[in-house]
Amino acid sequence: MKMVKAEGLSYAYTRLTETDHGTEEKKITALEQVDIEIEKGEFIVVLGHNGSGKSTFAKHINALLQPTGGTLWVKGMDTQQEEKVWDIRQTAGMVFQNPDNQLVATVVEEDIAFGPENMGIEPKEIRRRVDDALATVRMSEFAAYTPSKLSGGQKQRIAIAGVLAMKPDCIVLDEPTAMLDPVGRKEVMETIERLNREEGITIILITHYMDEAVRGDRVYVIDDGHLVMQGHPKEIFAQVETLKGYGLDVPQVTETAYLLRKEGIDLPGDILTIEEMVGALCQLKSAI
Amino acid sequence: MIRDITIGQYYPVDSPIHRLDARIKLGVTFLFIVTLFLVNSFTGYLFAAACMALVIRASKVPLKFMLKGLKSIMIIILFTAFINLFMTRGEHVLWHWGFLTLTVEGILMAIKMCVRLVMLIIGSSLLTLTTTPIQLTDAIEYVLRPFKRIGVPAHEIAMMMTIALRFIPTLLDETDKIMKAQQARGADFDTGNLLQKAKSLIPILVPLFISAFRRAEELAMAMEARCYHGDEHRTRMKEMKMEKRDYRAMTIACCYTLAIFGLRFAAKVFPFVI
Repeated sequence: MKMVKAEGLSYAYTRLTETDHGTEEKKITALEQVDIEIEKGEFIVVLGHNGSGKSTFAKHINALLQPTGGTLWVKGMDTQQEEKVWDIRQTAGMVFQNPDNQLVATVVEEDIAFGPENMGIEPKEIRRRVDDALATVRMSEFAAYTPSKLSGGQKQRIAIAGVLAMKPDCIVLDEPTAMLDPVGRKEVMETIERLNREEGITIILITHYMDEAVRGDRVYVIDDGHLVMQGHPKEIFAQVETLKGYGLDVPQVTETAYLLRKEGIDLPGDILTIEEMVGALCQLKSAI
Repeated sequence: MIRDITIGQYYPVDSPIHRLDARIKLGVTFLFIVTLFLVNSFTGYLFAAACMALVIRASKVPLKFMLKGLKSIMIIILFTAFINLFMTRGEHVLWHWGFLTLTVEGILMAIKMCVRLVMLIIGSSLLTLTTTPIQLTDAIEYVLRPFKRIGVPAHEIAMMMTIALRFIPTLLDETDKIMKAQQARGADFDTGNLLQKAKSLIPILVPLFISAFRRAEELAMAMEARCYHGDEHRTRMKEMKMEKRDYRAMTIACCYTLAIFGLRFAAKVFPFVI
């Protein structure tokens, strides 16, 4: 069974704008005819510039938004079935952008317990899950802290732990690093990668940082509500021109390689990391 | 300056009072406040004060912290004393000037009222000093639970308090940021009379409110994403459990109440002895 499957997923809403001639109704399409299939255990990256509809897509996976057209299944559950909503939210946890606006309690461990408490789990089991989740995000020593005393990266790890305590199969992260400093970003990315690798949790990472996108198994590019590109990061980032057309950048090294190739230097087109660049340059040097 | 405001005045030490169940502490504090109004003799006050001193001792909270709470209501205490001192009518007039009359009854009344107020404040700050805000909200939720049937939203009230406590530091930080941003553009918050100062707060309050609403919306979504649907089928990680020490505290509180009643009765029967 596919972890997440979307067929012809569309979402439109009407926006009322005040004009001189009264209120004006305007129909806005945030997503149109999106088809996506995500397998269990995959690390998926969804790319898109601001307002492309990538966050809207993320909210559909958590049943926070209902599609206005098409269907979305999470582990075989249709998100439009109202009685499945809580199961879906437990299966596909969600981490949001602003770490401050998603922590509920005044104590770290109480916050992590919030999800399991809502699910009606036995107190002893909650305790166990909270301790496990804290250990997984390497924050055990902060159990009794108050969230306002933590750094952005730490808060975001607590938010991830809060989702982990619900034992999800899949975690959707909606630009989790957008508001963090470089150190915080690194902490969060390492945590996400570890969850995917060691716990086998399906990760759907929404981002506009290219260096984060490189780490995914597969990349989806959404532009103006349409799914425009999909494939392995190497395939996606090789198409530098196309990406730029969608208002997206490519990783710095890839861009450098692209420019060098344009100048006639024989470099492979799928360089994504500094290590790969170093390797390619050394080969080039030894060839001379 | 904004950093100085401390929220919740919990004093973190390990003491028998800290370890008590928050519900017991809430109940005993309530009982203490009610019984204070039953005291009608100096012996009674002496007894209540002695008991309170013992509890303060057991709580390991320095007396300094208790008295801190008094500072903010000093004016109210002084005002009460003044009113009682000069406005109480009595037979033994000591001094008379205009509408002010000083009587023996007035002096006694003023002392009584002040002692009562001071003990009220210290008694209730003892509760907040030895109980974490989260324990307190849990206790309040528990106490309000029986009133659910008549429509008191016990769980919602507790949830609101928790969220408020959680967001106070966040919003304080935000206020600080907005103030700095306004100051950088030439805003002046410190000069002028009261009205001008109040007016200069508007450019702080408007963005603060807007951001608070935005935060509320995001938090609501995050809570929903974590399966929050009110208190239906909700469990708690930390269950409140009554232990032996809680029953012991309850017994002591009952004895205290009986003693206060006894002293009140005794004061009526033998007004000159006590």
